[in-house]
Order: sequence, then C-alpha cells, then structure tokens
Amino acid sequence: MSEAKSEKEPGGALEIDRSELVATKVWDTSLFKRLLTYARPHRRLFLKSFAVLSLLFIGELLGTRIWKGAIDGPVAGAADAEDKAPFVQALLWWVGAYVALIAAMTVLRYFQTATLNKTGQAVVHDLRAAVFRHLQSLDLGFFDRRPTGALVTRVTTDIESLSEMFTSGIIALLFDSVKVLVVLGMLFAIDVDLALITMLTTPILIGISLAFRGGARRAHREVRARLARLNGYLQEVLGGIRVVQVFRREERVAARFNEALARYFEANRRTIFLFALFYPVMSLAVYLIQGAALWAGIGSIVGKGLTYGEFVQFWLLLNMLVRPIRELGERYNVLQSAFASAERIFQVLDTAPTVVPPATPAAVRTAPGQAPHIAFEDVCFSYVADTPVLRGISFEIPPGKTVAVVGATGAGKSTLVNLLLRYYDASSGRVAVDDVDLRELETSAFRARFGLVLQEDFLFAGSVEENLVMDRSEVSAASLAEAIDAAQARDLVNGLEGGLAAEVAERGATFSTGERQLLAIARALAAEPDVVVLDEATAAVDSATEHRIERATSRLLAGRSALVIAHRLSTIRGADEILVMARGEIRERGTHDELLAAEGLYAKLHALQYAAASA
Amino acid sequence: MAILLRFFRRFLAYRTSLLLGLLCIPLAQLCDVGITLLVGDALDRAQDASDTEWMTRVLLLMGAYAVGHSVMRFYQRWLIVVVSRRVEVDLKTELFGKLVSLPFAYHDRSRSGDVVSRVTSDVEAVRMVLGPGLMYTLGALVILPISIGYLFTINATLALMMTLPMFTMGLTMKLLSGRLHRQSVAVQESISAISHRAQENFGGIRVVKGYAREDSQADQFEGTSAINRDNQVLLGNARGVTNAAIYGSFDLTFAVILLIGGLAAVDRTLPIGDLFKFIDLTIKVFWPLIAIGWILGMLPRAVASAERVEELLNEENPIAEGHEKIARADVRGALAFEDVSFTYERGTEPALSGVTVRVEAGETLGVVGPTGAGKSTLINLVGRLFEADSGRIHLDGHEVRELAFDALRGTVGYVPQDSFLFSETYEENIRFGADHEMTDAEVDALIERVAMKDEVACFPEGKKTLVGERGVTLSGGQRQRTCIARALARDPRILLLDDCLSAVDTETEKELVGSLRSAGEGRTVIVAAHRLSTVQAADRILVLTRSGEVEAIGSHDELLEREGWYRDTWEQQQRTESLSAAVNDEVGGAA
Ligand SMILES: Nc1ncnc2c1ncn2[C@@H]1O[C@H](COP(=O)(O)OP(=O)(O)OP(=O)(O)O)[C@@H](O)[C@H]1O
Ligand SMILES: Nc1ncnc2c1ncn2[C@@H]1O[C@H](COP(=O)(O)OP(=O)(O)OP(=O)(O)O)[C@@H](O)[C@H]1O
Ligand SMILES: [Mg+2]
Repeated sequence: MSEAKSEKEPGGALEIDRSELVATKVWDTSLFKRLLTYARPHRRLFLKSFAVLSLLFIGELLGTRIWKGAIDGPVAGAADAEDKAPFVQALLWWVGAYVALIAAMTVLRYFQTATLNKTGQAVVHDLRAAVFRHLQSLDLGFFDRRPTGALVTRVTTDIESLSEMFTSGIIALLFDSVKVLVVLGMLFAIDVDLALITMLTTPILIGISLAFRGGARRAHREVRARLARLNGYLQEVLGGIRVVQVFRREERVAARFNEALARYFEANRRTIFLFALFYPVMSLAVYLIQGAALWAGIGSIVGKGLTYGEFVQFWLLLNMLVRPIRELGERYNVLQSAFASAERIFQVLDTAPTVVPPATPAAVRTAPGQAPHIAFEDVCFSYVADTPVLRGISFEIPPGKTVAVVGATGAGKSTLVNLLLRYYDASSGRVAVDDVDLRELETSAFRARFGLVLQEDFLFAGSVEENLVMDRSEVSAASLAEAIDAAQARDLVNGLEGGLAAEVAERGATFSTGERQLLAIARALAAEPDVVVLDEATAAVDSATEHRIERATSRLLAGRSALVIAHRLSTIRGADEILVMARGEIRERGTHDELLAAEGLYAKLHALQYAAASA
Repeated sequence: MAILLRFFRRFLAYRTSLLLGLLCIPLAQLCDVGITLLVGDALDRAQDASDTEWMTRVLLLMGAYAVGHSVMRFYQRWLIVVVSRRVEVDLKTELFGKLVSLPFAYHDRSRSGDVVSRVTSDVEAVRMVLGPGLMYTLGALVILPISIGYLFTINATLALMMTLPMFTMGLTMKLLSGRLHRQSVAVQESISAISHRAQENFGGIRVVKGYAREDSQADQFEGTSAINRDNQVLLGNARGVTNAAIYGSFDLTFAVILLIGGLAAVDRTLPIGDLFKFIDLTIKVFWPLIAIGWILGMLPRAVASAERVEELLNEENPIAEGHEKIARADVRGALAFEDVSFTYERGTEPALSGVTVRVEAGETLGVVGPTGAGKSTLINLVGRLFEADSGRIHLDGHEVRELAFDALRGTVGYVPQDSFLFSETYEENIRFGADHEMTDAEVDALIERVAMKDEVACFPEGKKTLVGERGVTLSGGQRQRTCIARALARDPRILLLDDCLSAVDTETEKELVGSLRSAGEGRTVIVAAHRLSTVQAADRILVLTRSGEVEAIGSHDELLEREGWYRDTWEQQQRTESLSAAVNDEVGGAA
C-alpha cells in the first residue's frame, strides 16, 4: 500500500511535511493571545503606541468637528447675510485651527510609524531569538528529518511575515475596534436613524470576513509550506552541485525544482483569488453602507433638518469607520499570512525535545582535568521504531584508558558516539558517567569535557581560528598552538594567507578532505579535553601524517580517556580494549593480542587487511 | 530604473492578461469617481428628495457603479497579480537553470545563503514593484488627472491649489530616497546575515551540540538579530518621516479645500454639493497616492534587488561546453594529461603543477600522495568541474574543452570524496546515476554489487527509505557505497573514484575491491586513495608530492623499487601489519 503510494510520487523530496498543513487547532484568539504574551515585556512601548494612536484619533475626530463647525457656522450663516466679512473672519479662524491641528497630527504621525515599528521589531526580535534558542535545545532526530533550508525559513521569512503583522497590523487592529466603537457612538449622536441604518449593514461585513477566514488561512498555510520546501530544495542542490554537474543531471534537478515551483505557484494563485475576491466584496459592502447613509441622510436633511455640516461630518466619520474595514482587505491578507507563519513558528516552539534535560541536573563527579569513568550498561537503541541498531551493548571506558571500536560498516559504531554524547537517548539500558545516568547530568557541562572528531565533521564559515577555538574560554593561545602541532596542521595553517585569520568557506569547501580532518582534530584537542572521541578521524589522512598524529596525541592525552573508531586496524593496536562490533552487538572484546589469539572475527579482519596489503 | 524596465519586459510575455488587467484599472476608477459625483449632485438636489423616483434612480445608479467597480477591481487584481507570479516562476526557473550550470568555482566563492536570498527575497522585491506596485501606480496615475480635471471644471483655483501639497510630498520623498535606499540595503544585508547564521548552525548542529556551543550560538544569533532589529528601527524612522509627509500633505489639501472652498461657499460661488465632491474625491485620490508613496519607498530596494538578480543572470560561465560531438558508445576512455597546472581561485599555491600522465582505455590509474597533494583536484579536472590553467587534457585524443558535455560527462561515473546524497529515497539516489529508467532488478543487482543488500533489507522501508539531507541517516560506509552504486548505475566508460573506500571496513573493502575490479573490467578507472592496498593492483600509480607535482609514475612493483614516498608509505603500512602478523604467528603458535 505504502509502496504503491511512494511509487506514484517520485517527488518524495518535494513532498511537504503534511503535518505542516494540518490546522493546529488554534483559534485566532488563542494564537493572538499567545503572540501577545511576547508583547508583555514591551508593555511600555505598547502603551506609547496606544497613546500616540489615541491622540491621533482624537485629532481626526476634532478634524471632522472643524468641518462641521465651518460649514454650519460661517458657510451656512453667510447664506442670507449681506456683509460677508465677519463670516470670512470666522472661517479663517476655523482654517487656522485646522492648520494647527494638522501640524500637531503630522508630528504624531511620525511617531505613529516609528513607535509602532519599533514595538513590532522588538517583539519580533524576541520571538526570533526564542525560536532559535528553542531549536538549539531540540535533539538531532528533529534535524535529521528536516532540510536545513526549510528550517532556515522559520527564522527568516516566517518571522518577517510576523514582523509585517506587528508593525502594520496587530496594534492598529486592536485600536481599530476602539475606534469603530467611538465613531459609531458619534454617529448616533449626530443622527440616530442614519446611524442605525449604517449599523445594520455591519453584520454583513463581519459575515464576509468570517467566510473568507478559513479559506485564506488554509491557502496561506500551504504557500508557506511550499515556499519552505522550494527553498530547501534549492539549498540542497547547491550543496550537491558537483554531483549534479558531473552526472549531467541539470535538467532533472531543474524539472524537480520546477515541479516544486509549480506547486508553490498554484498555492499562491489560491491566495490571490481569495484576496482579489475579498477586496471587491468588502468594498461592495462599503458602498452599501454609503448608499444607505446617503438615502437616510438626504431623508434627514429634508425631513428632520439635518444640517449640511452634520452630513459632511457624518460622511467623514463614516469614512473613518469604513477605512479600517476597507483596509482590512489588505491587512487581512497580511494577517492571515502572518497567522499561518505564527502557526509554523509555534509548531517549532511546541516541539518538545525527546532528549529532555533533567529537572535537577547533577554535575559530573570527577573534577575537570580528570577523566571520568564511562560505562555503557546493556544499551539498546533504534533510530526508527522496530529497526534496532544497538542491541545490549555493555562496555566501560575506565579513566585514562583507550577503548577502540572496529567492525563492519553500519554496525553501529558512530551510533555509540551519538549515545555517548547524548545526541539521542538509549531506548533501554543506560550510559553512566561515574555511575550517574547520563540523563541526570547537565548535558552541556558534560559535553564540554569532550574533544570530538565526528565522521562527518563540519567547518563553519568564518576564520580558521574561530573554527578551532569555537568560542570556548578554555582554549588558550598555548593550548591552541599545541593542538595545531599535534594535529600536524601547522604547515597547513602557515601556508594559508593570513594564517589563523584566513577565511574558511562554507563547509570548509576550499580545503581538501584530509586537511579538514586535520583541522577537526586540532579543534578537538584545543581545549585539553578529558575524553577524546575520534570517529574515523584520520580516514582521509595519509599514513605518515596519521602516524605522527597518533604519536603526538598519545603524548598530549596521557591520563585522559579515549573512544576511537577506525577501520584501519593499525591505528588502534595500542588500545587498552578493542571491541569488535557486528550488527549492533559486540562480538568480541580484548586487547589486540587477545583478540588475535581468539581467532575470531578480529583475527579474520586482520588477516584480510594483511592479505590485502601483501597480495 | 532602466534595469526595472528590462525586467518589465518579462511581463510582456503575458501581455493579454496584463493589458486586460490594466484596462480594468481606469474602469474601476471611473465607477468610483461616478459615485462621488452622484452623491455630490444628490446633495445639491436634496430638497427634491420627496421625489422617490429620483431617489431610487440615484440609488440604483450608485448600485450599478458599485458593482462595476467591484467586478473591475477583482479582475484587476486577479489578472495582474497572477501575471506577476507567473513572471516570478519564469525568473526562478531561469535563475535555477543558471545556478546549476555555473561552474564550481562560482559556488566556491559565493555563500549559499546569499544565493538563496537572490532567488527568493530579491525576486520577490522586484515582483512586488513591477506587479502590484505597477497596478497601484497606474491606478493613481489614472484617477489623479480624472479627478483633478473634473474638479478644474468646477473651481479652477481650488483644483490648482489642491495639487500644491502633493508637490511637497514628492519633494520630501525625493529628499529622503537616499536615506531610504541606504537603510533598506542595510536591512537586507542584516536579514541575509541572519539566514547565513541559521543555515551554518543547522548544518553543523552535530558539532555545535558536541562542543556544547548551543548557548553561545544562540547569543551570537541574538546579536545578529539585534542588528537587524536596529536597522529595521532606523528604516522605520525614515519611513515615519515619509509617512508624516504624505499624511501631512493630505491634510494640508483638506485645509486648502476648507479655506478656498469655504470662502467660495461663503460667497455662494460654490454649491455645497461641489464642496462635497472636492472632499470625497480628495479622499479617493489620496489612497492611490499613498500607494505611490509606498511604491516609491520600495523602489530603491527593488532596484538594488534587480541588480543582484541581474548579476546572477549575467554571471559568465567560463567553462563553456565544447562543440565536438562523439557518440557516447564511441568513447573508448583513454585519458591523457599533458603538463597540466592548476591553481584554485582562492588558493595561494598551485594545487597541481606540470602533471603529465596517460591512462589507456580500460586501464586503472591509482593516484596517491600526502594530504592536500591534489588528488581530488586531478579527478575534478577530468569532468571539467574546474578548468586547467595550462596544459591539456585529452579524452581519446580530443581535448576535453572541445568536447560536448554529453560525450565528456555523459561517460563519466564519479564518486565524490564527501559522498553527497540527496534527501530522496535510497533507491532514487541510485537511479540518479542512470540515464535510462532502471528496472528494479538492475537496482537490486547494484545494491548487491556494493555489498549493501543485507543492510538495505534492514532499513525501515527497505530501498524506499528516505535518506536524510546529505544522507545523514546512513552510516559513513553506507553513504560511500551508495555513491559507488550511483556511479556504476550509469555504466560509465570512465570511473572516477575519489577515496571511495576510506570509511569502509576491511572485509567490505575486500569485497568491494573485487567487485569494483570486475565492474572496472574494460573501463578506465582513476582511483585516489590513502590506503595503498586500494591502488596496489592498478596498472599504473601516480604519486603526487605535497605541492602537486609528479613524484613518480609506475606500477606497484616498479614504485617499490625506487626510494620515495611510495616505498616509505608502503613500508610503514607493511611494518605495522607485519608486526601484528608476527604477533599473530607467535600467539597462534603458542595456542
Ligand atoms: N540518524 C539516523 N537515522 C536513522 N538511521 C540511522 C541514522 N544514523 C545511522 N543510522 C543507521 O544506523 C545503522 C548504524 O549506523 P552507524 O553510523 O552507527 O554505523 P557505523 O558502524 O558507524 O558505520 P560506518 O563504519 O560505515 O561509519 C546504519 O544502518 C544506519 O543506516
Ligand atoms: N575549492 C578550493 N579552493 C581553493 N583551494 C582549494 C580548493 N580545493 C582544494 N584546495 C587546495 O588545493 C590543494 C589540493 O586539494 P585536493 O582536494 O586536490 O587534495 P587531495 O590530494 O585530494 O587531499 P586529500 O588527501 O585530503 O583528499 C589543497 O592544498 C587544498 O587546500
Ligand atoms: Mg560511522
């Protein structure tokens, strides 16, 4: 069943995570409330924004009052008068007052934009930092399943779309409700009939926006997810550009990309349609209100002596009422898109790490500078349920000893490292440090005692020095120099333009693979770690260099523990214990000599290597 | 500006929709203006309101205008915005095509975050200004003369005076445009910095966590984000000034109407209904004007973005495809390097200098040498991922730069040293290599050939299992073997193996070497390696020095006979092995 499905959709890579599209059962109000919790620390800014908005609003109301005053006063009064001079005089007073008002409002308008923007940016910055910080706490299982490019969109485009909402939407929207109420009140004060008729049409407006809401949100949600996928794919292809070019697969990846693009376009088209429809429907409703006002207004002018000034004031107020509604069309789009983004962001924030930090973290018992005792006790583990990778692994790394792991590829050697560093938690059994469960230790303090060279190590864009120091205060100039020497990276560093300050390209692309490993080794040694973990650390390094590294590190690491994984048996001969792994189990253990004597798997591997070398 | 026009040409591909959409703008505006005039006239004739027939007619007419306006508005948005999205699709397609064709040297020097932001946010900025932006601008440009023109017929002085505040607005915008531009660029850069940081962090998350750097990374990220916030605030302040100017001039227009219109009304030269028209039309003109202000505010950024997009579109590809075509079946696979030298664009010293070596068709060439000697470089030159600075590389006697890519890269199977895989299913990664649609049996045969049958069977969904980005959910050795299977899938004439067994255990290596040897039967193979056992059986072995020169070429036995890197390394590898062999014998004997 599932096979048939995946066959029909060869674009597995293009599939968006369907869970992203599922409404998270969050109503606007609760989403809204949650967003507002991020506003709380910036209460003062919000208050300031409201103050500015209120003053502006009062100014606008005063403006309509001036129009009424001018029309009903001098303009109407002059109708029958012979001497117009006093009326002109009065009119000039009104104009004077109006200009003064405008001056004040212009200043306020500056503050409106500036303050609202500042408030929004402050909130958005907090949110962005919070999302990033939360992502840092998530386990590797989370990252394994998601393309980097798509994750990046969560802290970039998604956050930006929220920023738009905060700066142009949410505060104004909150304020609009106040505004609408006040204006309605004033309308009633001017003419009850007129106001009543106007008000009767408002439910239509509300109905329309409710009807659009669901569809718009769904459409925007899809756009966001598609965009993340599109960018993720682009990023991925850029990473594998060599493979694409040598295999002449430019057209194939372009076809994939275009397919993703087409889906993104389709999703977009839906939002455009809704948006294009929403606006005219809204403005039709607005005209309905205006028509009703005109009809009732003219009736009142004739029948009940409504003055022209009052009508103009009414019309201007009506505009003030209608403008937010009209604008809602624009704002609504921003808002729906922002809500869709907010959902995605909260989805990340709500993802609990499966590797949970302990409530009361314990410290490692052995003091820094001394190697702790490490033990795997009957550890089982699987990345994906029902496909066990480790089965009942037990071994110890006593302080100061070196344990080596060999075994077939895919046996689970790197997985041991993943568990030792608590990238993942064991499904059963435990990893103990000085007899304390790893899960009860403060993970970061524990990890900081390690020097780590991963099988797929990673150099960051930046300088060589930044890559080696990694922002660790423990690394001194002397220990750094020593580490570089031990890793045999001295010639390499000296050969670079600028030495330690030389620039490193993304993923260290301008170094050869072996050179990258040398730098990774130097990085691991730089902080004088208590435990060293080397996963195929010298796989791409020539034998002579490898030999020199071994000698130098064993001197450097006297008294510290080590876990070494290697395929070349020559590199692990000196280990205190060698574990031979196959299919997630430890098949044999002992020293090199013991293992050879046992004439088991190890001896066979050894014979093979020897045979290969002399064949 | 001219640059935006160049981009606008892309819109012309959809000229029918575009023209229809643009046509809707004045129609919609006319309906809107019609309503104002209707209400104004109605006010003047308010005393006749007892005439219900007249009233009904006014309301009906107003309804008709309203419907017309709404329909036009719908089509205006629908047509124009969809066209702008189509152009976005076209642009992105073209950019992507460009990106995959650009040589590796380009990708080396550009940051992928920057490239992605060109394809995404820069394209978006251009689209916004040319699509919706154009729509609003045109809307304003249509309604402005219509309204002002009409008002002119009512009261020329007033209409003329009304335009004055608008000039104030234009002037302010002009004065501020430099500042706006600078600040939008700063904002853009800080956004790109954020995405760069995030990307590096997520890509290297294992290292970040392994060194417990989460907090310091989060702090750094917060710092980058704070820079963005501060830039945004500055930009917001500049926008505040322009907004204040726009609204201020709008209000000032009202003041002008109040003054001049009021005076005229006092004199009874302007009926109250006309005054109303002035007010309402100003309101209607105002919104499009604000939109223009908005567009003007975006223009500097759009121009900057357009430049960045165009830069990428115009990026020269120095590695042009050659014209000489050979049928793939006719390629025999003899390779010859003649005095080839190469220095990386960002390298200080040559990675290869004066390399001359020949590989006959069907032969195997081993490449060995110390770390950083230039082994990968040599392999990359064959497929022209980089272009040799001097010297010549021949395939079957044709210079590689004269050859069509189809003959050159089409016959090459390549196993990169970093064993890159796509985040697709396991099987698709292998099929990636084949030019034809592979049958399931062929795929299975390849999986078996690289000794992965048992392991693949253990995957949660067998060969349909998705491998993570870059293959993170596979073990190192599994990745390498998958890459080998992918390379074999295309049945290549030339097999380029870049240190492809470094992460494989001895037993599997043995198995694979055998399998590769039979796979290599009849193929030309270039294999780079550190373990000499991998190249030992090669017909010829090229030894490179640390500085990328040829130290020696010869067969294993020949090389052992002379002094040099090869013999030293061999002896060293032998010594450790034979030492343990001796121990083995001894212990074995004792047992
Ligand atoms: N992140 C992951 N998600 C799911 N499965 C994984 C993941 N990492 C590894 N595996 C699977 O777990 C098994 C053990 O992998 P591991 O990397 O530990 O092997 P290894 O012994 O280090 O092999 P090698 O010598 O090739 O590096 C493999 O079958 C692999 O496919
Ligand atoms: N893209 C690049 N830009 C600049 N310099 C580079 C680039 N790639 C490699 N180099 C440099 O060129 C030299 C040769 O690199 P190459 O990758 O060919 O070495 P290698 O022999 O394959 O090494 P290894 O054994 O580590 O795989 C190295 O000194 C390396 O630093
Ligand atoms: Mg591994």
